[in-house]
Amino acid sequence: MKRTIVPFGPQHPVLAEPLVLDLVLEDEKVIDAIPTIGYIHRGLEAMVDRVEYTEMGFVVERICGICSFMHGMGYCLALESIMSVEVPDRARWLRIIWAEISRIQSHLLWLGLGADAFGFENLFMHCWRMREEILDIFEKTTGGRIIHSVNRIGGVKRDISDSELIAIVARLDGLGKAFEATARVFANDPSIRHRMSGVGVLSMADARAVDAVGPMARASGVRMDTRLAGQNLYDQIEFEPVLETAGDCLARVVVRMREVRQSIDLIHQMVDKMPKGEGLPLENKPRGNPSGETFTRLEQPRGEVVYYVKANGTKYLERFRARTPTFANIPAMIKLVKGCDLADVPNIILTIDPCISCTER
Amino acid sequence: MDRQGFLARVGEYHTNGWRLAIINATTVPPVDAAEPGIFEISWGFAKDLEFETIREQVTTADEVPSVSDFFGAAFLYENEMRELFGLNVTGIGLDLGGQLYKTSVKIPFSHAAVKARLAATAAATAAASGKKA
Repeated sequence: MKRTIVPFGPQHPVLAEPLVLDLVLEDEKVIDAIPTIGYIHRGLEAMVDRVEYTEMGFVVERICGICSFMHGMGYCLALESIMSVEVPDRARWLRIIWAEISRIQSHLLWLGLGADAFGFENLFMHCWRMREEILDIFEKTTGGRIIHSVNRIGGVKRDISDSELIAIVARLDGLGKAFEATARVFANDPSIRHRMSGVGVLSMADARAVDAVGPMARASGVRMDTRLAGQNLYDQIEFEPVLETAGDCLARVVVRMREVRQSIDLIHQMVDKMPKGEGLPLENKPRGNPSGETFTRLEQPRGEVVYYVKANGTKYLERFRARTPTFANIPAMIKLVKGCDLADVPNIILTIDPCISCTER
Repeated sequence: MDRQGFLARVGEYHTNGWRLAIINATTVPPVDAAEPGIFEISWGFAKDLEFETIREQVTTADEVPSVSDFFGAAFLYENEMRELFGLNVTGIGLDLGGQLYKTSVKIPFSHAAVKARLAATAAATAAASGKKA
């Protein structure tokens, strides 16, 4: 049969970011997909040789506008590990509270984009309306809606008062209740099920074979979440990753919906357990320049991110590398796209929650 | 690098249920050394909560065997190493033929490119301090 190559992206109605795929088709079936991910490569990693390590955190935050908080946090964790800096308790709790708020924000953003992709614009608006509330919380507590710049090597720049934390929890509870109505539509609407159920199935064996991470792996039943390592105080709260077993597009939607609820619950636990009081220390400033290297892993909304930092005792790092979750999930995406119908390609691609800014750095 | 020994170690990780978490290359200083210069590659493997690495030092003249036969997802890292560092990775499962990234500087982490960047930074710093003075 005659083969046709159809370029998918960099501009496409369902893509918020410029992913480029060459889809090789036989009739309506996708036979192969060849990715090009360099469309917005910014060379951020190469900036380590001209940006001092104390300022590099602000560059790292700008890898992505959705995971900016967790990129900043991961960078600081890596440097703190190399420089043996002990972060004050309250700062550690504040970091993971912001991290979970970040997860809710990211998932709501994605659920909205997903809804828009399968033509349910009303649902898109509901998701983004709820996300606005999260951005308001970020703005009030960090001063920024997208780029927060509260992480410092050795702690955090800002505190959240105890009364404000209680108000945030109450606000999230309200949001959680409002989210239930939206979640019911995602889970039960016949048109959504028709587009998502049984489409783009990634079996557990395949998810392992292509080293999938995050909700992509968990929707295929793989119990994988770096929060299970108990680092960053996750050992002090009750946490069990959300798993689904169907491995299809709908399962990936459901995992993210359940993770929104779970993050609200985790924030409840964190606020209960964190040390209370005004004026508690928030930062231990490091001394000198870093020397050494480390791999640091963190569970971002899209899955495991791995940071590699190598320092040589000067104010410039020798190497900074971020292996982002989308980078790790591209092989899974290619596997799913091969053999599917052309009409299903947008939904399959979207359900890996691709972040091309993260991937290209 | 010892090709057989390296692949045997990678195969062991695969057989024992580890996953490939990252492959990372680093340009090893000094960058003013004569080309091709030295690069350090770390293959990072994760299993549950454990994380281990295999590390090798290579030059662009060395052949770096692909681990795609064990870990299908390796192709992205390997294409990246070839395009950004100029490393000679052979046998990549999905060879993108230099089409993965579009960069303004060809092989931006080569010793020559890093050296040029450092020189430009030093010149800019000197110019800025001259203006201040």
